[in-house]
Amino acid sequence: MMKTSYVIIGFWLVLFIAASIIVSTSLFEEQLVARAETLASPGANTLPVEEGVFKLAGRADELRALFYRGVGSKKGLGPYYSRRAFPGAPPVIPHPADEHQDIGGKACLQCHQNGGYVDQYQAFAPVSPHPELLNCKQCHVPVVTTGSFIASSWRKPAPPETGQQELPGSPPVIPHALEMRNNCLSCHGTPAAPREIRVSHPDRVNCRQCHALNDNTMNAPEIWTR
Amino acid sequence: MNRRVFLKKAAAASAMAAAATMLPGILFAADQTKDNLPGGIKWTKAPCRFCGVGCGVLIGTKEGKTVAVKGDPNSPVNQGLLCVKGYHQIMCTSAADRLTKPLIKKNGQYVEATMDEALDLVAAKMTETIEKYGKDAVAMYTSGQSTIPEGYVAAKFMKGAIGTNNLDCNARLCMASAVAGFLTTFGADEPMGCYEDIDYADVFVLWGNNMAEMHPVLFSRLLDNRLKRKNVKIIDLATRTTRTSKAADKSILFKPQTDLAIANAICYEIINNGWVNHSFVEQHIVFKKGKTTIGYGLEDKFKFKDEAEAIDFNQYKTFLADYRPDKVEALTGVSAKDIKYLAALYGDPGLKVVSYWCMGMNQHTRGTWMNNLVYNIHLLTGKISQPGNGPFSLTGQPSACGTAREVGTFTHKLPKGVVTNEKHRRLAAKIWQVPYERIPAKPTYHATEMFRAIDRGDIKFLWTQVTNPLVSLPKTSRYRPGMKKNDCFVVVSDVFPTPTSDVADVILPAAWHVEKSGMYGNSERRTQYWDKMVEPPGEATPDAWMTIEVARRMGFGDLFPYSKENHHEEIYNEYRQFHVGKKHNMAPVEVLKKQSGAIWPYIEETGKSTQWRFNAKYDPACDQEKDFDFYGRPDGKAVIWQRPYEPAPEVPDNEYPFWLNTGRVIEHWHTGSMTRRIPVLHRAVPNAYVELHPDDAKRLGIQNKQLVKVVSRRGSTVLPASINERGLPAKGQVFVPFFDESMLINDVTLDAFCPISKEPDYKKCAVRIERV
Repeated sequence: MMKTSYVIIGFWLVLFIAASIIVSTSLFEEQLVARAETLASPGANTLPVEEGVFKLAGRADELRALFYRGVGSKKGLGPYYSRRAFPGAPPVIPHPADEHQDIGGKACLQCHQNGGYVDQYQAFAPVSPHPELLNCKQCHVPVVTTGSFIASSWRKPAPPETGQQELPGSPPVIPHALEMRNNCLSCHGTPAAPREIRVSHPDRVNCRQCHALNDNTMNAPEIWTR
Repeated sequence: MNRRVFLKKAAAASAMAAAATMLPGILFAADQTKDNLPGGIKWTKAPCRFCGVGCGVLIGTKEGKTVAVKGDPNSPVNQGLLCVKGYHQIMCTSAADRLTKPLIKKNGQYVEATMDEALDLVAAKMTETIEKYGKDAVAMYTSGQSTIPEGYVAAKFMKGAIGTNNLDCNARLCMASAVAGFLTTFGADEPMGCYEDIDYADVFVLWGNNMAEMHPVLFSRLLDNRLKRKNVKIIDLATRTTRTSKAADKSILFKPQTDLAIANAICYEIINNGWVNHSFVEQHIVFKKGKTTIGYGLEDKFKFKDEAEAIDFNQYKTFLADYRPDKVEALTGVSAKDIKYLAALYGDPGLKVVSYWCMGMNQHTRGTWMNNLVYNIHLLTGKISQPGNGPFSLTGQPSACGTAREVGTFTHKLPKGVVTNEKHRRLAAKIWQVPYERIPAKPTYHATEMFRAIDRGDIKFLWTQVTNPLVSLPKTSRYRPGMKKNDCFVVVSDVFPTPTSDVADVILPAAWHVEKSGMYGNSERRTQYWDKMVEPPGEATPDAWMTIEVARRMGFGDLFPYSKENHHEEIYNEYRQFHVGKKHNMAPVEVLKKQSGAIWPYIEETGKSTQWRFNAKYDPACDQEKDFDFYGRPDGKAVIWQRPYEPAPEVPDNEYPFWLNTGRVIEHWHTGSMTRRIPVLHRAVPNAYVELHPDDAKRLGIQNKQLVKVVSRRGSTVLPASINERGLPAKGQVFVPFFDESMLINDVTLDAFCPISKEPDYKKCAVRIERV
């Protein structure tokens, strides 16, 4: 009996190690993209940065398999937006988080780099689109009370409409800004993705081949005249 | 946190994934075939209107209008997938400024006219110009987007009816070096392999080719294969870090123009390490060298003729000694280690390698040489003309191959062969039923020289079709004023107004893509047919029909006996006669109507395409006694050319310290006359910009989005700076996409060209950046 369970544990261990090796070797080498301080002048249209485009590409076949096996969150966009002050805001941490863990360590990333199912919360851990930023709590804070200090008239703006297609059947546009979120698969391709925005074809890793950025929260370009 | 459970679940997910990847088939394509759209839509197949990949699309029409687009799951090219341009292509025709009526310039104002009036005027002007100044005073400038019938009637009209070689096209600006490369090495144009190579190759080397943005559907097929077969490697060899570099397994950056030295260094390593496929080389290869220090074509009426001299393997080996990897490190900026790595990939007999390139190698003052040099690598190793092994030149226009190259809408070309060859002229005269003497034996103007001739006043009449030279030519700062002069009568046929139609005397409204029937030929020699699906608006007319109508008005009616309804098919059937025979047989139109294209040489007996030319196993045109037969050349042997590194004509200096590179973005296609009129694409990239390296920007005190002026010795343009956005140029280099007609970067570029192919180099000139 003991022996069998050791075998099983050993089997899982080997599988896990193999999976970790596959995942880590297939992740793309970070390109040496120099980042300088840049300042956007108000009103100018911007192109999204590109560095995140293929970040999860090495896991695309796994993500596809999970999708077709129906492995994934049953939750929708409701809980997703409930954790954000406005669409595009950094989400809060909806679970207890150990305050004593080092800043700059990879504590959060143990679950949020690759994702996976967590029994304790009966939820899939969302995958961070920017795992290179290690000071998570700089932007993501826990929720320890539901009360307010003082009443507020803050109203959440409506989130962008999903499925915005230019033509019947054409690929929906990207209706949101991509700052900090330019790795599409982390939010749209993993089992943690809200069901409305989970992509059926995560193996098509060159997302912006078909989906154009049409963030209408930016200034609409003027009608151009010759 | 119950980590054990978490880890266990993660491992389970990985295991399931591993199992699922064993499942064959692309589930995505199956999704596409589901007809989940609102009812009553009729789907008709066509090739995509945009790039040279030639994806199969299904156009949805309802109540006489185009309403939707999807990928054709039956097309072997794209298997149901498109890119964002393809999915939205039909939307351009809804633009408010669609040309629907002919416009004639009268006293500086455009006045609407009927098609008859306009065509009468064009014919009268052409006749008058020929009478007054001779045949060589009239010219036509067409396109790699012209359909096969459109290109064919233009060639027949100019060369067979009028009797002038004043016909060239915009494919000169993008594919001429590839053509000259193929002809000098193999004696026959166009790639030997096909897209299916992607499914067999282990290594893809992309030579100066941002495939993720420019040929996205093929690049997705590369990525797809890398997911399915873990040994697949993508190597990006470029002067700028792009989306492709980020997806690649390895990105190698080199200094502009030094690809010549890198290719030679790879050959040095292959020979030095004993990786030469000796039996292949002995049986199928001859060695040659050509002239060196061949110039850059910067002066008007520049002439060059290469002279080949036979050499032997040892002479070639001695020549390569200068390109030992450590010797070229400083010149190329590429470490000897990286060059050796590349050579090892090409040299390993166990690896199948495909090289891809497009404008990086072609728009190059030594473009023909560069094409030759990449062939050298594949020929030395014998990695050619086999599934998964071969050099493959990609194209940028939907019929650069089918029309420009195969029909031959270049000054020196005929549908079969060249004007300088008497046999070829006799064949053309026979099929066209014109006196043989009428077809002149001397080529006249290639694209750049044609616009120089207009500026000089040598050409008095120009008709452009399906192209926008005043955005796409190099050094438009000279050629725009040249075309504006009153002494050249300019006729522009197009779907939308452009900076070229702005200088026209007559603007003819053209039918768009699926508003007419036609054929295109893509990069893999695939000819594709489509049927007219909707009526063109107003008086918009297919380009071929406008050419025919003008020819008739000029008295050549007997040469153009085609019917209005079915001219495309009648012309194609006539054209097919030029390519009869095993080496270039074109599929009959009935076949093309049924299936998503066919690759020539089409084998009538079996109804099959020839996917790998020059390999006797796949190509019945080969001498079946041999394994390979490069039958384009009389001796059946391909040529390894000794071609040195030579510098670019203009390099950065103190006054103009930056290299300027120009190109495209995924959202926009060429001069943007269609894509900018598609709202979803315009909203994604509304204007051009100049990409700077962050360190250069910091040093110059330039912030992102700040307007800066790009200045060269030719001209200047003002654009917003782009820092850390789409691409990352190397230090000392800047990049500008050329689609934006309000920020004309080609006012800045240099009109130097490859002396052999006459294709201009848009990738290299010297500029300075000024704050404004």
